[in-house]
Amino acid sequence: MEYDENGVSIVPFELKKEIFEEARRDFRYEEYVRGCLNCGVCAGGCPPHRFFDFSPRIVLQKMKSKDPELIWTMMDEYVWACFQCFTCAMICPFLNSPGGVIAILREIAVRRGFESAKKVLKPYSRVLLKLTAYGNQLSPDMIQPDFFPDWGPHIGYASTDLAVKRKAIPMPTLQVTNLAWDVAPEAMKELYDIFDEAGVFKIIESVDPSLYEIIQDIVDDVRSS
Amino acid sequence: MAIEIGNRLGLANVKSDYIHAAGRKLEDIHDELLELEAKGEVKVIHVKDENKPIEAETLFGWKKKIPTNKLWHHKSCGQCGNIPGYPVSLLWFMNKFGIEYIDERNQTSCTAWNYHGSGTSNPVGLAAVAVRNWHRAYELGLFPLFHCATTFGDYKEMRNLLVEHKELRDEVRRIMHKIGRELVIPEYIVHYSEWVHVMRFEIAKLKKYDLSNVIATIHPACHTYKMIPEDCIYDKEIYAGKRTAVSTGIALALGAQVADYSTWYDCCGFGFRHILTEREASRSFVMDRKIRPMVREAQSDVCITQDTGCTTTLDKNQWIGKAMGYTEQVPVMADVMFAALACGADVYKIVQLQWHTTDWRPLCEKIGIDWKKSEDEYDAYLEELKAGGKTVNLYEYPAGK
Ligand code: SF4
Ligand code: SF4
Repeated sequence: MEYDENGVSIVPFELKKEIFEEARRDFRYEEYVRGCLNCGVCAGGCPPHRFFDFSPRIVLQKMKSKDPELIWTMMDEYVWACFQCFTCAMICPFLNSPGGVIAILREIAVRRGFESAKKVLKPYSRVLLKLTAYGNQLSPDMIQPDFFPDWGPHIGYASTDLAVKRKAIPMPTLQVTNLAWDVAPEAMKELYDIFDEAGVFKIIESVDPSLYEIIQDIVDDVRSS
Repeated sequence: MAIEIGNRLGLANVKSDYIHAAGRKLEDIHDELLELEAKGEVKVIHVKDENKPIEAETLFGWKKKIPTNKLWHHKSCGQCGNIPGYPVSLLWFMNKFGIEYIDERNQTSCTAWNYHGSGTSNPVGLAAVAVRNWHRAYELGLFPLFHCATTFGDYKEMRNLLVEHKELRDEVRRIMHKIGRELVIPEYIVHYSEWVHVMRFEIAKLKKYDLSNVIATIHPACHTYKMIPEDCIYDKEIYAGKRTAVSTGIALALGAQVADYSTWYDCCGFGFRHILTEREASRSFVMDRKIRPMVREAQSDVCITQDTGCTTTLDKNQWIGKAMGYTEQVPVMADVMFAALACGADVYKIVQLQWHTTDWRPLCEKIGIDWKKSEDEYDAYLEELKAGGKTVNLYEYPAGK
């Protein structure tokens, strides 16, 4: 990437065009981008529209413009504002799915290892590690007061005597602390094969190479167990 | 009969082909799936008589068979981390009804929370994970029951994409062969709350407490009714068929008052990524758009959810609101937990409310539940376990697992 004298990246038009073509080639694109009335119904129901400079109407309008320059302007933090609630998809009179378009654009951003994607996802790496390496997403031992101080003093409940409190849950699958449930190694190994074949590990490598290394160490251990 | 409507906000009584103003016909994917099966393209996990199905209607009046027996529990990443009472209450009811099921370790996350939070997957990855878990239920001769709303939404979407796109089917089939599995698709994608919904009158027969003075506000999970909206249960007796009936149905069957509030359709603020790494957006949304309207407009005693992410978001974010002068508080729990409370399940050992942050004791007291007794017994139980005692489980792994 080239940069101007202010350190702002100079993005060649060709790359912007490629991004748009990549989005348009996605087999879900036609399903998600139909006619747009510019009515704004989607924005009215969109949660982040209340907090951020973000609107699903703008997303659809820019896609409909087919202008790579306009579409490029959404490839930074913009696409990461979406809550993925799909309120827009339910209420759009044209059955567009702005949330679906966002998902396609995010995929492109991480696949190509965009700096904005790396920055946004950095604090998310613990979850990414848990999911990719263990086939789970969140675990009881992650709910710690120092990580969730805004959740109040009761969060400490989960961190004292956690093992015995989990043991008291009357479902054997849940009697662990480092996973949401005790995932069998054979399930993890199948998940790794899927991630290999579907290119998911590759995506993680492009967005966070050091995390990828850690994940691969765990994957190797589980695979050889 | 064809009918034109403007969106998918809720027309339960349209029993017809549906032609959208934009010229798109929404097909019932179920019929297309059976056609693919007839051509030998896919295997289908059918809802059989042994699954003791109960029929419900979806948004456009299409029939959906909800299996009530011989089930495979597909757990949620979120619920077990924060809200273990949610699957436990479900198993508690299933045991009461003598339902056959398996809850095992051989299951992965659907990975959709991660996808919607970070974009670090793709449709092939998501669909392959879905089919992997569906196939596990299939080889056990069981029907999969999905606990999580995001799993439900994602799997509905993956089922549709797999039925509609041969290239995706071919790619997923190739991956399944690599891991020694086959391309199978469930006849219906079924969420646990749909099981609760169709079983609501049976559940209500177990009721121990009068709930007529309890005001409940319902927060349905976005991914149950906004993702593939046409595949979600509606009932013309509930909200006149204008909103999804699930969760409201069980609260009404138990005799609670269900009160409306102006932001019913709003999401909880979870945001997938936001709840973990941009929490100020989540908590502002929780207080401004959900909790405050529920309390101010409806004087709600309890917020009833049907998912993990929503329960966590709405429960955990109320405490910090006090710093900004938000005094409104309401306990949050999934529909099945509320039902279990009403039917006399132990507050600590079964409903597991001790993990929840917003005070639920006033609700118990209003219902007439002696939570203190339950707490004392639980504390003694923990001491027993610490001393090497064995857990009294609701379920044991099949021998050899
Ligand atoms: S995407 Fe749909 S709801 Fe949004 S402005 Fe366009 S037509 Fe209206
Ligand atoms: S899916 Fe995204 S764009 Fe659509 S309403 Fe939800 S937050 Fe807004």
